Amino acid sequence: MANPVPSACCVVLAAVVVVYAQRHSQQDSHIQYERVGADVTMKCGSMDWDAAVTWTANGTDIDESHLNGSYLILKNVDLTQSGQYSCYEGSSWHLKYQTYLRVGTPPKEPVLMCRSNSYPKGFYCSWHLPTPTYIPNSFNISVIHGTKEMVCEKDVFPKNRCHIKYLQLFSTVKYKVTLTVTNALGKNSTTLTFDEVAIVKPDPPESVVAKPVPNNPRRLEVSWQNPSSWPDPESFPLKFFLRYRPLILDQWQHVELSDGTSHTITDAYAGKEYIIQVAAKDNDIGTWSDWSVAVHATPWTEEPKHLTTEAQVTETTSASTSSFMPPPTTKICDKGAVVGSGAVAVCWTAGLVLAAYGVLFI
Amino acid sequence: MAAADSPSAALRRRDLCSRGIRLAGKMRADVIDLLDTYVERQGLDASASVAAVEGVPVAAVERWDEQTGTQRLLENLAAYRAFRVLLAQMLEEHREQLGEADTTLGRALAAVLLQVSAFAYHLEELLRLESRGPPSEEGAAPPPVPQLGLFERKLRGLGVLRELAQWAVRSVRDLRQLAKASPGSSSAPGWAESP
Repeated sequence: MANPVPSACCVVLAAVVVVYAQRHSQQDSHIQYERVGADVTMKCGSMDWDAAVTWTANGTDIDESHLNGSYLILKNVDLTQSGQYSCYEGSSWHLKYQTYLRVGTPPKEPVLMCRSNSYPKGFYCSWHLPTPTYIPNSFNISVIHGTKEMVCEKDVFPKNRCHIKYLQLFSTVKYKVTLTVTNALGKNSTTLTFDEVAIVKPDPPESVVAKPVPNNPRRLEVSWQNPSSWPDPESFPLKFFLRYRPLILDQWQHVELSDGTSHTITDAYAGKEYIIQVAAKDNDIGTWSDWSVAVHATPWTEEPKHLTTEAQVTETTSASTSSFMPPPTTKICDKGAVVGSGAVAVCWTAGLVLAAYGVLFI
Repeated sequence: MAAADSPSAALRRRDLCSRGIRLAGKMRADVIDLLDTYVERQGLDASASVAAVEGVPVAAVERWDEQTGTQRLLENLAAYRAFRVLLAQMLEEHREQLGEADTTLGRALAAVLLQVSAFAYHLEELLRLESRGPPSEEGAAPPPVPQLGLFERKLRGLGVLRELAQWAVRSVRDLRQLAKASPGSSSAPGWAESP
């Protein structure tokens, strides 16, 4: 006698396949875009108004209160109502209609910016929307110089940027850049008009380094490099603006430098940690870059000379000129705090007492 | 050209380029100030678009980096000689129009005219150093003064000054390229070009 179990399984499997096929036959599936706040009416394909149907949203049955006959009515839609809507014939559960509802907004005026950080090679424009639309958008940019339309090569990443090569230099004719953003619910655009030199703004200087100067308690040596995006600093030299301040003060000191990529600060407060930044600008045109990454440095300080006493440990003669790690004994007998020879004796006595306590209790 | 390549000639060339860069930089600053004065005194909108003005040398250039030193000097010289004539015409028209009533603009125009003349002379010196010599101006008739209404003349003046400001920027760049290029170099932006 044949085993009935495999046969029963086959029958069940076949039934499932048939039902699934029926449910997804004759489907009419597409994407539907609607504005936030709109009232949406969905028809169940070619079904009559009075046909018995069932609507689902993302697989969940929709209550009949949202139906007008076989039409699905969604009032004042919001973003949470985006999803897949399906309509099934009442008794047979045949899928009669399916749509993907995307609720969104038409685009607001886009924000467009153009800048040349690689003069005289070219410039780039980048853009974004001030608020999301929640549906796909497409962007089209046009660049016109006089009567000539120029090509803006789109970057692979980020996607909202493109580059234009200068075909002419020293032109007084302005560039006109128009960006249009379009989606299924509307479009918007913005235009920028500028001349060649107005948008020139280098990237900040790179590799800023600040170091103390040995045996000079008020000096800091600062060096930096031209931004790597600036293609020809020899023919198009940059000038620099350096600012520095001790961390304990808010006021910056400024120095403008017309050539070279280094500078020595000569008026630093001894022993104080400084914060230093550099900015760059083309020597002749455009605007200043943003400030570079900040670097910190403290001027050189002399190591205090140790007095020889019975409690004195072996003197270490460090050749280090760094002022970042002063010897611990200076915390107690800070030279800066000394006002007379009597105070020196009191100071060292206190140090010896503390050292003795340390030996006893460690 | 042995003389052009001698060490003293190279030093003189570098010196002339450095001084020329400073002259052009000062000239540009003064032209920008003059532009502000001109726009204000002539009652114009600073952002007004001016179509290309006939007879005004255009600073815009394609493949600027591929130009030879001689090309740069010759183009610069031709431009500043033309500006010398244009500015003289503007000054004359200004005096006819206002007499001595507006000395501020008149003085500013005259000062820039002087700088333009000095810069043209400087460029001639550079060309002489190249043993090429500047092209002669003799026999070249000045361009006819176009018959324009008052407003058109004002706009034309605006176009002249804007283009002059751009030329001043270009001249700084050109002289920097000249100073960079070593004499007798085989690289493209060199001094000499074969006849």
